[in-house]
Amino acid sequence: MVVIMVTMASRSTAQRPNGSTQGKICQFKLVLLGESAVGKSSLVLRFVKGQFHEYQESTIGAAFLTQTVCLDDTTVKFEIWDTAGQERYHSLAPMYYRGAQAAIVVYDITNQDTFVRATTWVKELQRQASPNIVIALAGNKSDLGNKRVVEFDEAQTYADENGLLFMETSAKTAMNVNDIFLAIAKKLPKNEQTGSAGTSGQGRRLVEVEGQKTTTSNCCK
Amino acid sequence: MDEEYDAIVLGTGLKECILSGMLSVSGKKVLHVDRNKYYGGESASITPLEDLFSKFKAPPPDGSYGRGRDWNVDLIPKFLMANGLLVKLLIHTGVTRYLEFKSVEGSYVYKSAKISKVPIDQQEALSSDLMGLFEKRRFRNFLIWVQNVQEDDPKSWDGFDPFSNNMQALYNKFNLDKNTQDFTGHALALYRDDDYIGQSAIGTIRRIKLYSDSLARYGKSPYLYPMYGLGELPQGFARLSAIYGGTYMLDKPIDEIVMEDGKVVGVRSGTEVAKCKQVFCDPTYVTDKVRKVGQVIRCICLLDHPISGTGDALSTQIIIPQKQVNRNSDIYVSLVSHTHQVAAKGWFVAMVSTTVETSNPEAEIKPGIDLLGPIKQKFVSVSDYLEPTDNGLNSQLFISTSYDATTHFETTCLDVLDIFKRATGEEFDFNKVKHELGDEDQ
Repeated sequence: MVVIMVTMASRSTAQRPNGSTQGKICQFKLVLLGESAVGKSSLVLRFVKGQFHEYQESTIGAAFLTQTVCLDDTTVKFEIWDTAGQERYHSLAPMYYRGAQAAIVVYDITNQDTFVRATTWVKELQRQASPNIVIALAGNKSDLGNKRVVEFDEAQTYADENGLLFMETSAKTAMNVNDIFLAIAKKLPKNEQTGSAGTSGQGRRLVEVEGQKTTTSNCCK
Repeated sequence: MDEEYDAIVLGTGLKECILSGMLSVSGKKVLHVDRNKYYGGESASITPLEDLFSKFKAPPPDGSYGRGRDWNVDLIPKFLMANGLLVKLLIHTGVTRYLEFKSVEGSYVYKSAKISKVPIDQQEALSSDLMGLFEKRRFRNFLIWVQNVQEDDPKSWDGFDPFSNNMQALYNKFNLDKNTQDFTGHALALYRDDDYIGQSAIGTIRRIKLYSDSLARYGKSPYLYPMYGLGELPQGFARLSAIYGGTYMLDKPIDEIVMEDGKVVGVRSGTEVAKCKQVFCDPTYVTDKVRKVGQVIRCICLLDHPISGTGDALSTQIIIPQKQVNRNSDIYVSLVSHTHQVAAKGWFVAMVSTTVETSNPEAEIKPGIDLLGPIKQKFVSVSDYLEPTDNGLNSQLFISTSYDATTHFETTCLDVLDIFKRATGEEFDFNKVKHELGDEDQ
């Protein structure tokens, strides 16, 4: 028989097997935004699994990944939401922005349009998301420097004016991929009021529990 | 849009979104379109509050309602049974990871012009004023018998065949009085009318078991409610569909479902035609292929206080059994609040609904409205309950029925599973999906 339990989805202090507690774990919802084919999924795959596929298909089958980043005594666990292609016809559900504490807006340095669209995604976040959201701008495909059309300085100036973190990244070579997530982790507030998983609505997640197995917190991988 | 799809789904109500998700997961190429610029159709939660007021052509809300964006008001009131089909669908498709829920704090039943709590444990049952002492004992024996019934083991039936006997016979076996029958059929088995009494007892037994299994999951009540409103549910299933390759277009007018020799071949929007083998839609997209079988009245009430007599519960359900108010179908009252992120701080959203029986539906819901106390704002809607005239087997056009007046999603899911089976020729395999999705989360 399938047993369904309701468990708290919130920040927790992890119990080590010996019962002692370690530093706190903060969980944050991070969303990716940007035009189709700028490399949103590739950035996540590189960050979470260390993989890169030259001909990555449009996002299928993996739109919810988690990865942890360790900062001194704090473990930051990212719940990473990919757009699942719903950005293509501007049909992203409000649920996507709901409770997001961080966002990476991605453009392709070889395509000016994607940079222009990135600025509208930033405006959309400022309108729809929570006011304290940490936004990072990623100029992806930096390995294709010979085809560059978006200048580094132009993007940096825009980021500075709008209070965004900014890095040029390459999912292909892994350049700055871990760094941009780390920079976001550092900037996120890690006090008691924040860091509830995902939607921060103080509700509970439904999980299926087989037998007596209960959910446990993760520590650094 | 000028492409070819296995299936085109029209409308992003909950039923269509679940279907879209199941089809995409099953490997079908799906295009999902809505004429509105928001997700959810009839099962949307309206936000901000200004949009709700303008939808009902009321002047804009004043400052007392707080920030409009803090409101997400459902158009159709329902709760999830904690052990019901929708929860099973959410868990087995992985959609549950996008959502958070709160347990509904309590369930009440209306008897002799006042409301009483539906007992959730022995202690509450003993102190309950719903029935007298001897009746309580008989009712307890009845519940124990129901819990012991195993459908495939006649030895557990204790001499009463629940398949061949009707519910009246079972009530008689345990000598339950009319009040207890009312309570059992309407507050536990959640029947809307009394038709069940003449039907095979097994149906009611299953419903009572669903109620008690759901109650056992969390304890306060058998119901769950999603944070930010019911409109999150269609969005969650739409996301599932998108993850499996479904293409989404909102704000896209649909001008024609293109048929050839009685079979669907595509969908036209303006001059664009998307080809497909099957079309799935809600009744509002095919007004010539549905019939009206009834009406449901729903009244959204904005309150700045909880409902009196419910222990200031921040969420609750009240069932008014039909006989108590001389009707043929029950009246339902549901209440959710700011704690579910559906209203600004200090505010509550109550909904009174029932199946329409007269030409003056607003008068019909008065017993429910009277329980609420002062109401700051009221929005009444009467909607047709539509069902398809075509089962889709030849036309490959599969139409869902409108949302009924039930308080939960069991009939919603049954309709979805039935449509899926008609369209694909097979039952939806819950387990297959689970295993394919299993490795996303570490």
